Amino acid sequence: MLFESFKIAISSLQANKLRTFLSMLGIIIGVGAVISIVSIGSGAQMEVTGQIAGLGSNVINIMPGGARMTGGQLTARTADNFTPELADYIHMLSPSVQNIIPQIQDSGAFTYRDVRVQATIIGTKPAFQEINLYNPSAGRFINQGDLETASQVVVLGSRLARNIFDGEDPLGKRVRLEINRRVLLLTVVGVMEERGGNFMGNFDTQAYVPFSTYTQKISSTQNISQFLAQARSADESREAVAQIDYFLSTYLEDEDNYMILSQEQILDVIHQVTRTLNIMLGGIAGISLLVGGIGIMNIMLVSVTERTREIGIRKALGAKKAHIMNQFLIEALTLSSLGGLVGTLLGWLGAFVIASFGGWALVVSPGSVALALGFSLLVGLFFGLYPAYKAANMDPVIALSYE
Amino acid sequence: MMQIENLERVYHLGKANVAALKGVSFNIEDGEFVAIMGPSGSGKSTLMHILGCLDRPTQGRYYLEGHDISKLSDNQLAEIRNKNIGFVFQQFNLLPRMNSLHNVEIPLIYRHTRRSTRLEKAKKALERVGLGERLHHKPSEVSGGEKQRVAIARALINDPSLILADEPTGNLDTRTGNEIMKIFHNLNQQGHTIIVVTHENEIARQARRVIRLRDGLMVGDEVIGSAV
Ligand SMILES: Nc1ncnc2c1ncn2[C@@H]1O[C@H](COP(=O)(O)OP(=O)(O)OP(=O)(O)O)[C@@H](O)[C@H]1O
Ligand SMILES: [Mg+2]
Repeated sequence: MLFESFKIAISSLQANKLRTFLSMLGIIIGVGAVISIVSIGSGAQMEVTGQIAGLGSNVINIMPGGARMTGGQLTARTADNFTPELADYIHMLSPSVQNIIPQIQDSGAFTYRDVRVQATIIGTKPAFQEINLYNPSAGRFINQGDLETASQVVVLGSRLARNIFDGEDPLGKRVRLEINRRVLLLTVVGVMEERGGNFMGNFDTQAYVPFSTYTQKISSTQNISQFLAQARSADESREAVAQIDYFLSTYLEDEDNYMILSQEQILDVIHQVTRTLNIMLGGIAGISLLVGGIGIMNIMLVSVTERTREIGIRKALGAKKAHIMNQFLIEALTLSSLGGLVGTLLGWLGAFVIASFGGWALVVSPGSVALALGFSLLVGLFFGLYPAYKAANMDPVIALSYE
Repeated sequence: MMQIENLERVYHLGKANVAALKGVSFNIEDGEFVAIMGPSGSGKSTLMHILGCLDRPTQGRYYLEGHDISKLSDNQLAEIRNKNIGFVFQQFNLLPRMNSLHNVEIPLIYRHTRRSTRLEKAKKALERVGLGERLHHKPSEVSGGEKQRVAIARALINDPSLILADEPTGNLDTRTGNEIMKIFHNLNQQGHTIIVVTHENEIARQARRVIRLRDGLMVGDEVIGSAV
């Protein structure tokens, strides 16, 4: 019986192909939108999340003067308090912090033969490499020995190295660095791997010198640009932030004097943003599904009216209410699920196209497909119910004499 | 066996009431061949709808095989229409998108008969009305007389005791009409009760009994010797 109803539904949908297609359009667009939006959302999120994870492992930035973010000036006191020793205190008092290094930076200019290149010079320690998951492609990074002797060595970002040496092997070459109205001769001991730019800056155009070299030979101040810390694990990231925060708020006596920014927090923000976006776009997709449902109801009402005589004939031949009801419900369900299927395919295709443009992996979650298909079936059922009910309850004599 | 007692049917049209049947009583025995005659608007179709369990009387009783029809639910009436009654209409009332076989098998679908059995029975019914060659033709592809034969085959498919035909020859020429009547005769001889509504004396004379209606009332009930 159900199979018969299904056959009747298919043949009546086939008889009006264009109308069938047009009435499915709402559902097709709605489902397609759900599938592609969810897919694009999660693909983009994975991409950004991956980028942030690539910034290092469980990195926590500690910067002086939270007020700086809102345009305020650093007070002298805060700057004075951000000293290298602070790193040691934090390390001792925050059990979830595995590494912490001070970082100090300024811009300078390298000269090699007749080439002169501007760059950001960073004074840092060996752990920088581990925290940022950033390794040399040639030579080595700054090591403990460099720190102890404040040796005059430099490690170059990949692009900076190319700009200065233009294909020549930089290792062992001596470059002239002008910085802070001083001049130093530095030996290149390493070139870092390609890292690319992101919203945190471009590692590839920076140069790295031992922290001690920087503080002793470049800048006389002990003021730190920022501390770079690393939590023991992703799970301990939150605790590490809390421990650092607790220590600093006590030590600096003012929460506005510093800012802590962890990878975790950035990820949280991104998750929140994409979640909000997903909900919003999902809502729009939901509305278009609803509109699709109304389209189906409309076409089903037309179909019921058009086939009034058929309904009368079927009733005269012994069809019960349930038979007629089923026939039209199944027609509505066929319409909506067909629309759902086509929409899924189109949404998938759309997600695929956009993913290949965006350069991220295609993620179509089975959950979103199931949700969209389930929802479109539900829409068909809900909006098919009234027309089917109307058909089932027609008076057979009146239906038979319908012109 | 059909018993009609004081049957009334009033249509409500807004505030106006139209009494299509104003108290009609008669019995019809199994195996009879009855013609119902009367001028247009006299209530013939209204009566046929009630006899065919498509409609219920406003007043009065209708017993079919001892069942009081007015006490049955819609679904029970549907079942009676399916199993005990075969309808033939003036306008054929075939489904245009289906071929003869599929039109004829419809009543069996609502009895949940298996597909292979359905098609077999439909083929037999079509052969019974001489349409063994038109199994796969759609209604638009056959003549009026053939359409009516398909409709008769459909009415026959469940082997109902009662066959109701409301002006079955109304859309056909005399010759084709007579052929259709011949089929009804054969069916009557095979034991089916036949009730035919007609305007034409020619047709009515082929029945064994003629019931005449006028203005919702029965004005004649005569037995005429079997014709042909
Ligand atoms: N659905 C209806 N609503 C209102 N009045 C109706 C309805 N059906 C029939 N009538 C009225 O009932 C009366 C009897 O109608 P019916 O169709 O039974 O006549 P009939 O004898 O079959 O006529 P004809 O020979 O023209 O087919 C008519 O006056 C008609 O207008
Ligand atoms: Mg009539």
